Amino acid sequence: MSEFKNDYNDVNDREYTNGEITVFWKPRKCIHATTCYRELIEVFNPRKRPWVNMEGASTEEIIRVVDLCPTKALSYKWNEEKSGKDSSVSSQSDENEIRIMQDGPIIIKGNFKIIGTDGNAIKTMKMASLCRCGMSKKMPFCDGTHRKIGFNDK
Amino acid sequence: MENNKYVEITILKNGPIHVKGEFTFRDSSGSPRKEYKELYLCRCGGSKDKPFCDDTHKKIGVRN
Repeated sequence: MSEFKNDYNDVNDREYTNGEITVFWKPRKCIHATTCYRELIEVFNPRKRPWVNMEGASTEEIIRVVDLCPTKALSYKWNEEKSGKDSSVSSQSDENEIRIMQDGPIIIKGNFKIIGTDGNAIKTMKMASLCRCGMSKKMPFCDGTHRKIGFNDK
Repeated sequence: MENNKYVEITILKNGPIHVKGEFTFRDSSGSPRKEYKELYLCRCGGSKDKPFCDDTHKKIGVRN
């Protein structure tokens, strides 16, 4: 088991609570994997402000979706010390994984070396999201444009 | 330090993403992860075989 700590705090970090748990949001870590709002738009709605509505679903449902966040940009804690639960500890495997998000980008996790169109290495990365819609302005990385253009897998 | 070798992701000019190495792959259908050594993934958005490349980029004239 590897510990994946949220390294440092940022002024843009946010906290949302329903009294029972507090959800932490670190925008710096978000790669727009879209998992949260695909799973639970009632709580995680990027078109609304605040974008997290803790009244939109049950605590259990919110925890389920927070745990799906591939970057740990979302995490949570029980407000009262409860059975030592700590979402910052996860069972991430060491293997390299490529995952396709529905109507969204390619998520890569592990040890990756990205080689640009000129044949030179851009960088090595532990995690990134790569454009799949063809319209990103930050090629080869995702910049969220797929949402605007309504990219879909069909 | 992990001993994992790097997976190479090559962005092909006006073409797909070429992935080579040892990795697991999971598509958006919810089917289980599979191990792969090499893949070509669509980057133009036009493939009829998404997420894989089917050479559609050549027809639609993708830029970079």
